[in-house]
Amino acid sequence: MRYDVVVIGAGVAGLAAGARLAEKGARVCVVAKGVGSTHLAPGTIDVLGYDGDGRVESPSSALPAFVSRHPQHPYALVGADSVGPALEWFAGCVESGPKAGYRYVGSLERNTLLPTAVGAARPSALVPTTMAGGDLTDAAPICVAGFRVLRDFHPALCAANLARAGHEARSLELEIDTGRVEENALGMARHFDDSGFRGRFAALVSSQLKAGERLGLPAVLGVRDPQGVLTDLEQRLGRPVFEIPTLPPSAPGLRVYDVLKAALRAAGGRLVIGAEVAGSTRDGARVTSVSARASGRDHVYEARWVVLATGGVASGAIELDSDWLARENALGLPLSGAPTEGSARFDPDYFAEQPLNRMGVTVDSSLIAEGTENVLVAGASLPGAISWREGSGEGISLSTGYAAAKTVLEREGATAAA
Amino acid sequence: MASITTDVLVIGGGATGAGVAWDAALRGLDVVLSDRLDLSEGTSGRFHGLLHSGGRYAVKDPDAAVECIGENVILRRVASDNIEDTGGFFVTTPFDDPEYAGRFMQGCRDTGVPCEEIDVSVALAEEPRLNPKISRAFRVPDGSLDIWKTVWSMARGARDRGARILPYHETVAIHRSGDEVTGARLRNQRTGEEIDVEAGVTVSATGSWAGKIAEMAGIEGVRVLPGKGIMIAMNHRLVNTVINRCQMPTDGDIIVPIRTVSVIGTTDVHVEDPDDRTIAQDQVDAMLEDGERLVPGFKRARALRVWSGVRPLFEDAKADNVATRDVTRAHALLDHSQRDGVGRFVTITGGKVTTFRLMAEDTVDAVVRLLGRGGPCRTRTQAMPGSESGRYYHVGERLERKEEHLLDDQLVCECELIPRKRLEHGFKQRDTRNLDDIRRYLRLGMGPCQGGFCIYRATGILHQLDGMTAEDADNTLREFLEERWQGVWPVLYGDQLRQMRLHEWIFQGVLDVERAGR
Repeated sequence: MRYDVVVIGAGVAGLAAGARLAEKGARVCVVAKGVGSTHLAPGTIDVLGYDGDGRVESPSSALPAFVSRHPQHPYALVGADSVGPALEWFAGCVESGPKAGYRYVGSLERNTLLPTAVGAARPSALVPTTMAGGDLTDAAPICVAGFRVLRDFHPALCAANLARAGHEARSLELEIDTGRVEENALGMARHFDDSGFRGRFAALVSSQLKAGERLGLPAVLGVRDPQGVLTDLEQRLGRPVFEIPTLPPSAPGLRVYDVLKAALRAAGGRLVIGAEVAGSTRDGARVTSVSARASGRDHVYEARWVVLATGGVASGAIELDSDWLARENALGLPLSGAPTEGSARFDPDYFAEQPLNRMGVTVDSSLIAEGTENVLVAGASLPGAISWREGSGEGISLSTGYAAAKTVLEREGATAAA
Repeated sequence: MASITTDVLVIGGGATGAGVAWDAALRGLDVVLSDRLDLSEGTSGRFHGLLHSGGRYAVKDPDAAVECIGENVILRRVASDNIEDTGGFFVTTPFDDPEYAGRFMQGCRDTGVPCEEIDVSVALAEEPRLNPKISRAFRVPDGSLDIWKTVWSMARGARDRGARILPYHETVAIHRSGDEVTGARLRNQRTGEEIDVEAGVTVSATGSWAGKIAEMAGIEGVRVLPGKGIMIAMNHRLVNTVINRCQMPTDGDIIVPIRTVSVIGTTDVHVEDPDDRTIAQDQVDAMLEDGERLVPGFKRARALRVWSGVRPLFEDAKADNVATRDVTRAHALLDHSQRDGVGRFVTITGGKVTTFRLMAEDTVDAVVRLLGRGGPCRTRTQAMPGSESGRYYHVGERLERKEEHLLDDQLVCECELIPRKRLEHGFKQRDTRNLDDIRRYLRLGMGPCQGGFCIYRATGILHQLDGMTAEDADNTLREFLEERWQGVWPVLYGDQLRQMRLHEWIFQGVLDVERAGR
């Protein structure tokens, strides 16, 4: 199988790169061991929430100084200006995507503060319409409701911490029969896709809500048609309703995956899940094909370009063994930020920055992996960032995925012109 | 200030202290058991879990071997619910002196440790991961002992007989009247309140901290040499039998299968401060290499966590700088009226977990002599609460219990199979609002995800209990995460590193527990 580009990894970065390339006419195949971290993530688009210990009010204002202080950071490589177009492109994918009416709102100019499941305020640049009602700069009182059956969300703790931080908040725990003794967030979201279940839920909760309160729920407002679920609940209850992200699996994250997958396929790209890349062939500095094992045999994908977007340590893309040797598993690319012999690998403080956290595949300023001329790296595979501390994961994945696509298109264009 | 009166005040709630409380309560004495932290938070809760057959000491310390096998037999009878009958092998690996096996067999015969040589093929069939190059194998009645369960079972048993159990009560003063100790002042670490305990006899069962308590009573020269050892828990049951190397005891030569993990131990380094819990990276690396000798591939298996404990080695007129493993492992009972002319005060230290019951028996015998009342020891035959059936613990037990309630109770901790009702009951039973106490009580958060999912759930459930503020809930959650990390980072590689990334992602990214309530 011959492609213009093979993308390895089906998280936000890989799907964004693949979809963008396919849109522009490239023959693209995205090959992945499994789905990416979308299913673990809250589903917000975080660009820059924290700069050190300080919360960032405006990512667009903070980014220029941030990249000059962190010249190895992915944002510094792609440039602070490149984040905006990538976010716009993503928002467009959602609007024209498979979930009618579902959109991302907000902007790079101002972070939206949304409550986490423990009631902390979390800054995001873009948030889905199903979460927008949770904006903590809004003074409207909040009622956080949870479900006894959903183990992974505890409304009382969320509301009590919101109250500690000065918000008017209270909680309700609802007993609703789902036919099971325990559910996770995805299970609940599937129930909410059902209008009959929503009717039962509305009947149960409506009498317990006070005038002027907005209703916060765990992020379970449907997988198939989240906007339909939101509109329906807001109409039934006569008040704003919003989602609060909680433990994985994440329904809003699954929607992000659905949207990007649809964008890739609509543009003619191919997606192969369940195929772990474990080998490659090279011609000098060019990787000419990768092979992935699926259904018990190896499939070879030949390509002019490879985009590596397999993630970092969390996804298993980068591994550290008991002899403290680190390696990148798909293509065996050189790493930066790996621990050197004798240096501290971890800080004894759990909440401190861990020395290993910035480890990633070494790239040049065009995101091309060291030792290659046609492998681009995007997303969490890149060194230099600690996305969950910076609140920057989706911003990095979208902007580097988008930039990788741009580089391929530019260079292919140059080749064609020549 | 509140004050209470009792027959026996026991300072130190490890295996020995809890054993003293249980023994004394069974003899009809009134008991107060106190610890500066949670019960079994110190040395007892920080060992590898081995119930010795005595084989390990058969050559080197025959007296210890005799004590071990005697106690092994008794504990199997009275504490069966806390014991897994894993059995044990001593195996001669290519790294061991082949001559030792003969001395080992002779030592076992001399000390009464049941020991049977088995064919290497039999040993390998039973334990297929074992180094195939072993040349000899011996079967002994080792086992594994869940010490938290044991300590709490004795504490509950004592409490049912009227004892007062006071965890988180630090001893701030030992009261003396003339040449007698009359009790102690305890400070509740949570509320700051102090309480005076007037006791007929005061027992210090404080292990490596015994010198400090003796000094508070004005007694000099109780010298306990803390010998620190590290242990590493591997995520799986790499073996189902206790595996010992057949050689003179040294570092990293035992693997103990306990509950859902296997623990390799241990090292022995003299330290000045018994509260020193640092883990040296070179010791971790060496321990992993040691594991490789017993179970090839050990280093590629998933390490869960590492911890250290300090053995209390009572110094018996030996120089400071001797290797601590050579100092006697036997326990020391000091009746200070005979030793120092200070009445009604007893120190019990030294020894090892396997012989805690015997140490408690000797101690309470002394207490009875000092008090002039109290019956004969009953702990040789009286089953601890939970062990009345005489059935051993087995590794599928929690699953069996959970399966009965699959359809009517939620699971909070998947790794350790803890249902919601059990957790809620545990918080009440322990009367605690501390997640780490519950970890020791129910093993919450001890599995491969190290609390990744269950600790948020448990915090939410805990917060809904009476009298728990969000601030307290946030604090115990953060403390739990910080405490877990201490044992994780020195062995963090491979799949566990990946797991901990998910953990950071959840707690620092999705939830942001650090900024909750701020």
